[in-house]
Order: sequence, then C-alpha cells, then structure tokens
Amino acid sequence: MFRIIKKSLKIGVVTGQYRRAERSALPVSPEVKDKTKLFKRSLAIREVDTGSCNACEMEMNALLNPVYDAERFGIHIAASPRHADALVVTGPVTVNMERALKDVHKQTPDPKIVIALGDCAITCGMFKNSYAVTGPVERHIPVDIRISGCPPRPAEILEVLSELRKPTV
Amino acid sequence: MTEARPCDNLLKAAFPAIVQDDPVCGESSHFQVPKDLLPAITRYLHTQPNLRGRLTLIWACDHRPVRDTYGLHYLFTLEVSHHWVVLSIELAGNDRLFPSITPHVHAAKWYEREIRDMFGLIPEGHPDLRRLVRHEHWPKGTHPLRKDFPWDRVLGRQQGEHRFRRIEGEGVFEVPVGPIHAGIIESGHFRFSVAGEPIMQLELRHFWKHRGVEKLFEEQTLIGAVPLAERVSGDTTVGHSLAYCQAVEPLLDLQVPRRARYLRSLFLELERLYNHLGDIGAMCNDTAYALAHAHCGRMKERIMQLNDRLTGSRFLRDVLRVGGVTRDIENRQLADLVDELNRIQPDFSEVGAIIFANASLTDRLETTGILNGQTAWDHAVMGVVGRASGMDCDLRRDRPFAAYDELPVNVALYRYGDVRARLRVRGDEIHESIRLIREICSKIPDGPVANELSCSPNPGDWTLSAVEGWRGEILYMVMAGEGGRIHRCKVRDPSFVNWPAIQWAVPGNIIPDFPLINKSFNLSYAGNDL
Repeated sequence: MFRIIKKSLKIGVVTGQYRRAERSALPVSPEVKDKTKLFKRSLAIREVDTGSCNACEMEMNALLNPVYDAERFGIHIAASPRHADALVVTGPVTVNMERALKDVHKQTPDPKIVIALGDCAITCGMFKNSYAVTGPVERHIPVDIRISGCPPRPAEILEVLSELRKPTV
Repeated sequence: MTEARPCDNLLKAAFPAIVQDDPVCGESSHFQVPKDLLPAITRYLHTQPNLRGRLTLIWACDHRPVRDTYGLHYLFTLEVSHHWVVLSIELAGNDRLFPSITPHVHAAKWYEREIRDMFGLIPEGHPDLRRLVRHEHWPKGTHPLRKDFPWDRVLGRQQGEHRFRRIEGEGVFEVPVGPIHAGIIESGHFRFSVAGEPIMQLELRHFWKHRGVEKLFEEQTLIGAVPLAERVSGDTTVGHSLAYCQAVEPLLDLQVPRRARYLRSLFLELERLYNHLGDIGAMCNDTAYALAHAHCGRMKERIMQLNDRLTGSRFLRDVLRVGGVTRDIENRQLADLVDELNRIQPDFSEVGAIIFANASLTDRLETTGILNGQTAWDHAVMGVVGRASGMDCDLRRDRPFAAYDELPVNVALYRYGDVRARLRVRGDEIHESIRLIREICSKIPDGPVANELSCSPNPGDWTLSAVEGWRGEILYMVMAGEGGRIHRCKVRDPSFVNWPAIQWAVPGNIIPDFPLINKSFNLSYAGNDL
C-alpha cells in the first residue's frame, strides 16, 4: 500500500507533458460545431477500424493514457455505437468491412458526427485502388471531420477533439 | 554448392528421389521434391527426433509469364541446429492439386487454406476446406495472387454465409463477438460456444481487414516498397521494414555498413520496448488494475516521445531503407537515450514490484489461458507466446541478423504457458532490451550508415529473411521480377501462426477472461489479414 502511494507521489502529475501540435489539422467547420452543440461538454466516441495498419488505433489508445488524458476534455470511448455521439473511422474501407461500417453507422443514433482518422481513411493512402479496398470512408458514409497524418500524433487528434468541445459563441 | 550437412545426408538417404538445389540463403538447404512424396518427407522432417523440423512457412508462387507453373515451397526450421530446410514442388500445366500435409503437420492448416484462396490450388486431403481470406461474399473463381488477376479489379458480391463449427445440446449457446469490438481494437470475429460459464469452443473468423498487401507489393520496385512494408502492421513498423530490407539486400548484392546494422538493432529494441510496456499495462487493465495500466501507459509514452525526438516518428517510420538506414543518430543523442533509459529502468522495476506483489492480480493471471508445450509445438507457435510455453526460440540468438552476431541475447523462457508466464516473458524482455540498447550505444562503431545501389537483380532470384520482431518471427520471401520490380512477396507476421493457437488456450476458461487471454497473446489483425 505504502509502496503504491510512494510511487504515485514520486511520479507526480504527468498530464500535459507532451509537445503541442504544430499545426491545427483541418479547422472544424461551423456547421459541424453546430451539429455537436447538443452533445454539450461531453463526447462519446466509438472507434471503428475498417482496415488500418493499427498505428492509428495505438494513437487513439494513447489519448487515454495519463499523459494526454482525453477524459479531462469530456471525451470518452463508448463500448457500443448505440451509445456514441461520434464515430472515429480508421483505415481504407476493405471489401470485408464495408457492410460492418454501414451497419455501425446505421446503429449510431442521430445526431452524430463521423471523423475520418489518418490518411488511409481520408484517401486510402498506400492501399488506393487495391482489389480488396472499396474506397475511402466518405464513399460509404458522410464524413464531417478529417484528421490527416500517417498516423496523426495524439496531440493533433486531441487538438481537433478539444476544439469540438469548446462552447460555440 | 556448399558442403553437405548431416540433415541433408539424412534426407537424401531416406528419400533418394529428391534433388538438392542451390541454397536460397546462408544456413539453408533447398530440395526439389516429387509431388507424391511430399507428405512422407514433411512427416519425416517433422517427427524424426534428430531433425524435429518446425514448419515455419509455406508459400506459393505463380511463375507466369516466365513459365506456366505454380511453385509451392515449404520452409522448416530444424529445432536442434536452427538450420533451414526448404522443400519445393512444382505444379505444371493445368495441375491444380497438391497433397495436403495438414494431417501430419498441424501447423500447415491455415497456410494451405490461404493458398487455396489466393491461388485456387486445392490441397488434397485437407480436413477443412472452408474459405479463409476470401469471405463468402467474394465471387467464385477470384484468386487475387494469380498473375492474370488485375491488382485494381473491383470485386462483385455474391450471396454466401460462413459455416461455423457448431456444438449442439441442451444449455449450449453461441456468443458471437465482433468484427467491431468494445474497446479500441482492430476488427475480427470470435464465436464462443458456452455451456454455463466455461467456454467449450472458440472459433476465429478473421481477414476482415484484408487489404491485398501481397498483391500491392507486386506493383512496387524492390527498393521502393519499404513504406508498404512499414504499413503491414503499424506497431511492428521496424520489424517488417527490417525483414523486407534484409530480404532485398542479397538480391541486389548490397552489404549493410556496420554502424547501420547496429542502428537497426537499436530501432528494433526500441520498438520491442514500447510495445512490451504497453502490453503489460493493457493486461493489467483487463484485470481492472488501472493503476498499473496508467504507469505503463506513461512509460510507453515516454519511449514513443523518445522515438519522435530521435527520428521524427513515434513509430520509427522512414528510418530504414534498402542498404542501411535513412538517417544517422549522433553519439550525443545516443548518450541522451541511455540517460533516459537509466531513468526508465528503475521506474519499471518499481512498477513491476507493485504488479507482482498484488495477490488479486496474480489470482487472475495464474492458470488462466494455458497453452501447453505440446499444443505450442503442434502449432509451431513462436515469439513471446512460444517462449511462455517452453518453445526455446529467438532468432536474435538462433539466426543472428543486423548486429546480433556481436550482441549475445539472453532469451526469456517460461514453461507454464499461462497469462502470467506471458507477462513474465515481456517483463524480462524489457530489461534485456534496455541492456541491449546500452550495449549497442557503447559498442556502436563510426562510419557510413548506408550503401548505394550498384547492381540490378536477376529476375526469378528469390531470398528469405527472418527478423525477431517484438511479437515473434517475421518472415519475408521476395522474388525479383523484370526491371527491378517485385515478382512475388510473401509476408508472414507471427500473428498468422499464433492466432489459431489461441483457440486452444481458451477452452475451459470463462468468457470474461477471454479479453485477458487475447491481450496476453496480443496478436496483430492487420499483419494476419494482410
């Protein structure tokens, strides 16, 4: 017990110990901000992997570690699309995942926003035109926000997400 | 032709009909085998006590347009000498049948199904000929790795449903999970048959994320395909790109400078370090021990930020190239790196002490998800999972690559095969990696970090390369094509071998323990599905 407390005291607070994003990815448009008004100060995210190389998943996971701690901005991960306000989709949409993606989109209650995370989700990246890939996410479901990078750094993802959480004027 | 080895003589004495060919790379023997003899030879290789061949890879190759044949190649690693034996058969003309070796060599199961899907060659006598990579909605007769199949073809859709193995009886019900899971995980489907709490059977349904990687390689040049290799499995960026570079370099007759070989080992160990730290945290998290998860997440983030500072990429992307590495790391940076690790090691030791002193955590980890030694051997399981089940294999020691011939590695080995053993292997490997990085930083020689291309490859030449990534053995077979292009590239992530084995570690456990067992394997879906 004392060992645990001692360790925590020794380490102290690590939240925020990262380099801020150099550039804001793509600005969040006023229409999208309007859409998110209903979510107030919290945002429940469902992550869907439609064929990524898993680097984007790792960076999404990194958002929840003590250093980035996305929950301080009211962002948390929902276990089911039915509990989600936003879908974060990574990877080019593969032939095998196409139907699953559409199903998930249908199951997410309106209003919802869709975030395409990483170059693959936005343009298919290196996997463009492959027989097993059916096109970027926006070919199948409407996309509201695009966060580019291969993979985008957690700081960049966090900046866009916290931008969404700022109250609109 | 190199000198004959004892295993070559044994094989030739037992099967006079086989023909020895030039070795494909150092420490290997290559035989041309008559098709009908293949099951007998593989069985002999696999079971003979003084050979004990572990099936390491099976790949097929469409030789068109050069000649109208399909080649099938079987790679075995001999347990005693770590020597490689490659057996090759050829299917000429319209011959589409090859004998299945699965009835004798269990580990061949998925390879043969994969070849059937990708090439349309039928393994005769295979006990399970359901589709593997091509889901049932793919049209009939689509075999993407055949040379007459265009890489950018748009697939149609047909009706079809996968038949799962069913257990029927009173009180038995099925629990389908996936392909989209509750956490931030990749896509895959698991189907459990349960009666009450314990799982009776688990069946996997994967390949949701099949992106056609091997076909995309065939559209690339030999020196230009490193970025694609990096994206086979993002968390194993260095492992895959290193295995790819090592496969291509002998084809181009390129030597890698000594400093570059040391840097490659350094990057590989950094990758092992951050992944193992993350895994230990995630395993603790799956037992609801959030404190350890937070500490490990914090340390993993430190290593990833360190990667970023060293190379400009958190995943060490764009650091490797054919012939060396893309950028040098200054000795001053190496000193900083050692300083940082000197702080992380005691930090990790303290967290490790907290983890292993926790009785309720130990209770969840011990005897959960046991993969016994015999099952591990039958499935030719490797890497962290193998070493937790008594499979004493580590390529860094057994077939040294990069700078490991000058850096002796202590291999962590446990026998019990439960979740705790897999956690212990990771913990030991973290300390070993830190030790290796220190040694690399103290021994690294000065000099250039890359050699330039000098000659062009011979079309039809092929090589194999193997790298011990953080998950286990990564294998690449690269065959050169016309004009410096790739004719065929076979990628084998350790996940492809270890996934079927998880089906045998789960029965008898309860469903709430499955995420924990799955995490303790921590296999890549992307690397498996390709």
